[in-house]
Amino acid sequence: MQKSKEDFTDFISNRLIRTEKEDLKYYYQYMKNIYHNRFFAMGTRFHTLLPGMDDDTAERVFYLMKDEVLRIEKKLSRFIPESDISRLNKSAKEKPVIVDDELFDILNACRFCWDLTDGAFDLTLRPLMDFWKNQPQSNAENDEFAQLKKNLGLQHVNVDDDKKSVQFSNNQIEIDLGGFGKGYALEKISNLLKDASVESAFISFGESSVLAAGNHPAGNSWKIGMNDYLNPGKSIHEFRVSGGSVSTSSNFFVTDNGTLKNHRHVIDPESGKPIEQLRSVSVCSESPVLAEMLSTAFLILPDKKIEKVKEQYDNLEVISVDYESGEATVKTFDEHQTA
Amino acid sequence: MYIDRKKFLEMTAALAGSSLLTTTMPWFSVFNNPAPVGRSASDRVRIGVIGVGSRGRALLLNLKELEKSLNLEIAAVCDTYEPHYERAIELTDGEAEAFFDYREMIENVDLDGVVIATPLHEHAQPTIDCLHAGIDVFCEKAMARTLDGVKGMYDAYKESGKILLIGHQRLFNPIYLEAMERLERGDIGPITMLRAWWHRNTDWVFYRGTGGRGTELDRQRNWRFYDEYSAGMISELGSHHFQVANWVLGTQPLSVMGSGSINHFDDGREVYDNFALVFKYPEKIHFTYDCITSNKHNGMQVQVLGNDGTLELESNMQFEEFPADPPAIQDLIEDIQDGENDAIPIGGATWIPDAPIRLGGDYISPDYAMNDTLLYMEGFINFIRKGSAPEKLTTEGYHASIWTLLAEEATKTGKEVTLPDKYRI
Repeated sequence: MQKSKEDFTDFISNRLIRTEKEDLKYYYQYMKNIYHNRFFAMGTRFHTLLPGMDDDTAERVFYLMKDEVLRIEKKLSRFIPESDISRLNKSAKEKPVIVDDELFDILNACRFCWDLTDGAFDLTLRPLMDFWKNQPQSNAENDEFAQLKKNLGLQHVNVDDDKKSVQFSNNQIEIDLGGFGKGYALEKISNLLKDASVESAFISFGESSVLAAGNHPAGNSWKIGMNDYLNPGKSIHEFRVSGGSVSTSSNFFVTDNGTLKNHRHVIDPESGKPIEQLRSVSVCSESPVLAEMLSTAFLILPDKKIEKVKEQYDNLEVISVDYESGEATVKTFDEHQTA
Repeated sequence: MYIDRKKFLEMTAALAGSSLLTTTMPWFSVFNNPAPVGRSASDRVRIGVIGVGSRGRALLLNLKELEKSLNLEIAAVCDTYEPHYERAIELTDGEAEAFFDYREMIENVDLDGVVIATPLHEHAQPTIDCLHAGIDVFCEKAMARTLDGVKGMYDAYKESGKILLIGHQRLFNPIYLEAMERLERGDIGPITMLRAWWHRNTDWVFYRGTGGRGTELDRQRNWRFYDEYSAGMISELGSHHFQVANWVLGTQPLSVMGSGSINHFDDGREVYDNFALVFKYPEKIHFTYDCITSNKHNGMQVQVLGNDGTLELESNMQFEEFPADPPAIQDLIEDIQDGENDAIPIGGATWIPDAPIRLGGDYISPDYAMNDTLLYMEGFINFIRKGSAPEKLTTEGYHASIWTLLAEEATKTGKEVTLPDKYRI
């Protein structure tokens, strides 16, 4: 947003006669350039706001982010046939596959979260999602289901720490980093923004993963509202974030006419069945990838267990929203409120 | 989208009567309206193959795949190089008559068509002789070593009334068919630039053990390295993409500028190991092309840049320029501009696009399952049976070959080169 010389003259002369508050407002209007750019990745949109930077510098930062996101997608997407994950899914059924340090660390992070959440965060359940796509719950009795139930689970992914290799103990296992990739990308970007000395940034990755770096240009934390799907445009909750992230997991899509539809992509590893109750969970934490993994797991975990996990972290905020009754019922996992 | 034979025929059938199938790529309609195939020996299409080196062998094997279904026969094969001559006999199980000299072949064998895959400088004469002998011709790209050779081939085509097709196989590629459909529909907006490149890391030596550059055997086998026989990568690689650029823009260039050098594989070869070109097209559109054999990082690509999106034709990807804004983002921008910090309801379930086609990095056709060379051969046999082929197939080849040689001239003279009137058709 280039401003002409006249604009600045106008600003300076206005500045002399305005009150301090108005003056500040004009300062933002004229001096706070906002670089806004976006692209598609990981099946959704990536929007960046970089306030208070000149366009040339902001653009360089933007393309560093874009390259990094696309690099991660190329590596982790199961939709890309030559990705590391596709290669692993194809070969690890038969033999140990040596993976690079980055993927090895990712798999370990996923295992850590699997342990932390008593198995709720499990990225091997994709074949069960496919199974349930168009099936009634009563099919839980059939052989195919029993087989999948028996064979799926992170306990069937064997990792050799010395050789940095991975092998599946049966041929039905498939790793799907869908509940991980966006948070991981934002984690990397958060570091990238620090390295680039970016003071303030707002990034929405498909709206379900939001990163707010630094403070809002008007001062104080960013206020990230959670959209109420039954009253679109209204916030049901507000997270205050400076240097952190909010991740939302839900088991529904919103259709064009505003009704919520369970996509049955969320499987309870214990029962092997999709979570049918329309529900979303948002987690706010300093680490985008932790927020991403925990929001996925908390969609499945009972409240008591969520609280138990939450206790282990400082500054972790969690809300769950239940849409089952036809209106949004919000539960905050705040000690003061639940007490 | 998975394009198999069935899907391909559905695509071409759906386009019947569209300007795409009447003007841009009329040859695709032959697959839904094939020539009737008689089963008797007298209905058999008899083909000769002239030049059975690496490309000739591939073409011959494609023809063999069609032998039964299209009732064709590889009746004769010809190569001046003995190992290839022997191999050709083997590939046809000794059933084809074999020759060292194509003139003897066309004199002694009754042929409906020939497939020519000789070195570039040996394209023109056999093509002209075959056309004048009343034989339809499929000739590998590019057409000829000289502008007069190219024009001579075209003139022989016009005089004889026979078929002349040039082996730019992308012309028969279903992915390109779909890409052209998208371009014509305006999916990426107005086209504002084309960029293409072909980067490899290879010394480009086809045959080892020839005794090195400059020996007689090397001149014969590695003919691509010698100015007398080839324009090097400009004719052997670039011509493919020059054809695509003409095709996408629906016209030929106004001029070409360029430069080239040998800066890495300086082993006595006479052709560049790297070059760069700028073609100017009507409507103030530029097409930039570069080629290098000492670095493969960028691979091969043809990018069509439009104001609303990008098509990458070689990797089958489409990218859109501007994803829609989340509803709350404009509020947030206004707030920042106004120095306000209000909560903006932006977080929630993952946004997904209405139609997957709107996604960046969308595969035009991820599981492409058809061989365009095979389709081109199938087209050729059908055109022989029908007695004619769409003229545009020939002119596509003509313009690609002419501009290949003009591009070579531009790199050698450093001048901006335009089309001399005598080569205008």
